[in-house]
Amino acid sequence: MNRRFAIKQVLIFAGGMALLPSCFREGGKVSIQLKNLDISAAQESQLAEIAELIIPKTDTSGAKDLNLHLYVLKMLDDCFGPERHQQFMGGLKNFEGLDSKSLAQLVTDANTAKAGLSEETIEFFKFMKWKTIDGYLNSKYVMSNLVIWELVPGRYNGFFRVKSA
Amino acid sequence: MSNLNIDSIKEHTYDAIVIGSGISGGWAAKEFTEKGLKTLVLERGKDVKHIIDYPTTNKYPYEFEHRGEPTFAIREANPVVSKCYAFREDAMDFFVKDQEHPYVQEKPFDWIRGYQVGGKSLLWARQTQRWSDLDFEGPLRDDFAVDWPIRYKDLDSWYTYVEQFAGISGNKDGLASLPDGDFLPAFPLNAVEDYFRNTMRDKYIGRHVISARCAHLSQPKQIHFDQGRAKCQNRTLCQRGCPFGGYFSSNSSTLPWAEKTGNLTLRPFSVVESIIYDEKLGKASGVRVIDTNTKEVREYFAKVIFVNAAAINTNLILLNSTSSRFPNGLGNDSGSLGKYVAFHNYSARIGAEYDGLKEFTTDGRNPAGGGYIPRFRNLLKQETNFKRGYAAGFSAYRNTERDTSGLGTALKAQLLSKNLGPWQVGSHMMGETIPKESNYVKLHADKKDAWGVPLLKISVDYDDNDAKMKKDYLEQLTEMFTEAGFKNIQVNDGGQAPGLDIHEMGGARMGHDPKTSVLNKWNQLHDCKNVFVTDGACMTSTSTQNPSLTYMALTARAVDYAVLSMKKGDL
Repeated sequence: MNRRFAIKQVLIFAGGMALLPSCFREGGKVSIQLKNLDISAAQESQLAEIAELIIPKTDTSGAKDLNLHLYVLKMLDDCFGPERHQQFMGGLKNFEGLDSKSLAQLVTDANTAKAGLSEETIEFFKFMKWKTIDGYLNSKYVMSNLVIWELVPGRYNGFFRVKSA
Repeated sequence: MSNLNIDSIKEHTYDAIVIGSGISGGWAAKEFTEKGLKTLVLERGKDVKHIIDYPTTNKYPYEFEHRGEPTFAIREANPVVSKCYAFREDAMDFFVKDQEHPYVQEKPFDWIRGYQVGGKSLLWARQTQRWSDLDFEGPLRDDFAVDWPIRYKDLDSWYTYVEQFAGISGNKDGLASLPDGDFLPAFPLNAVEDYFRNTMRDKYIGRHVISARCAHLSQPKQIHFDQGRAKCQNRTLCQRGCPFGGYFSSNSSTLPWAEKTGNLTLRPFSVVESIIYDEKLGKASGVRVIDTNTKEVREYFAKVIFVNAAAINTNLILLNSTSSRFPNGLGNDSGSLGKYVAFHNYSARIGAEYDGLKEFTTDGRNPAGGGYIPRFRNLLKQETNFKRGYAAGFSAYRNTERDTSGLGTALKAQLLSKNLGPWQVGSHMMGETIPKESNYVKLHADKKDAWGVPLLKISVDYDDNDAKMKKDYLEQLTEMFTEAGFKNIQVNDGGQAPGLDIHEMGGARMGHDPKTSVLNKWNQLHDCKNVFVTDGACMTSTSTQNPSLTYMALTARAVDYAVLSMKKGDL
């Protein structure tokens, strides 16, 4: 199993284009190894839906194509502490079990911090959106195809003319 | 290696021993070996070979597990080093982890260390300005420390010497406070940095904004190619180690040069416990080293010893080198060893926006980091209610403007937008602090590290002068930014602890008088002539300029003197 996990981690975090065959999953559990968070397969797929609502597929790849929800979970698990974990899990509850229409509505409401929503819901969504965007902009796909990041510029022009729009 | 105990003293004897392989140790190694001396360089950390041991140097951001961010567990375990701007996934392995090398903070002090071959020269921000007589005459004029035993004329030619080899980019700016050097072409200011320079020139007398001077090969010369280095590629990923040798480090420059002479022996994993003093000879005979892998104790011998362990560790080694002649530490007849530690005050910054010059942006990256504002306060005479002054960084940049308030396709379009926001400008202060007896490092009476060396207690703090100076910096920069038409000015007096500036200096200061200083004008211990200190520990005062270039020049000069003295039979 360790080797499989290792392979999956590489696939996800070397750029996130690979879709995971479902046979990799152990009964009801999230498809990546997490140290602190306990995420079910159902929660995982709901997170994927939320991420896709934030960054949908268009003529270019969207959140699901890039496994951005797994990036969010990985970052949350490794780079944040127990308080943030709790807040996230608490907020996530309110998004579970919703059909796609209700989910889309809640995401829209959470995005504008609509009155009446719990703080946990709003904080969960803020984090989810922040890290989804972060994962998107820092993905191999975007950095190689859409907003190109160069390893070697070899130049500096401090008076670079902006092309008139 | 099992029969080390029967190794003869001869096999452990060199002409010179250099403790530390960082920016000054590397120079000592180069100078000694070039002059034909068999030289042992001791480094407490692991080896880092140029290019070979830069594992992250060619990685893309998405190749880092957490996109560069240290994990929560790492930050929790390393509260001190986590505060350092460069402690990220790409260079984390070049920093000392808090728990591996503990110390006692009598007052908060963020001690940032790099224990490996090359030391912090792999990680430094590469700013290199000469000091001037306004710095060397400072303590005498303003009466805040002992007089420096040297003046600018003592270092001028040595600055040139090290600049030519290291490769320093800059303009000849013709400023008395910041002598010009032997420069490679400067990295030019960008549109708004240049605008700010012109505005300051028109509105003030004596406030300059210049291209930052930095240790990058903007246009290498033959001496740099001979080192195996190439032109800086403007990657600005320097802290990972540069495969081009585009910036100066011990790893890319001085150490390989020393190795080529055939006179260098480099021993990593070697903590120096103490310097051995020979009572009969009346001088130091060698060093006692603990192998960090085996914990074996070994002794090495030489005629001359250079201590370049980085300011605070140099103090630690000298304090721990006790004998009946020197019960309070080697060369510490004055009792001043470990005292008068000072640093640079980097605790304030200011930012703003500029609405103009929207027809320009930048393309590529500037390894120099932008502009530099040399000290303008109390420069020629005392004119404020605080002593000394500050230099400052200044830089401008434009980001892509992305409205992230939306969702779905609208958000996606924003994320991919290439629309530029306004210019952002920023400055940070680099203040001179006053060396004081009450700012000291000491050996802990009981606690020891994993190799049996006493832990260090550090008691260093800001004072009222620093507070006044910081207030003035924020006021003056606010005024200057306002004059330039910058908007939405934000000041931040951060309040970072000393240490995070990574410019700790002093403890074994130079001076004329053995009663009040540790080193003479040749960086030689007054009381033990064959031991020299040419790293930050030797600094009598701190100036506002970055100190590294001065360490290089002092080191080359001191080695020259030491070798001449040896030839005359004086050492």
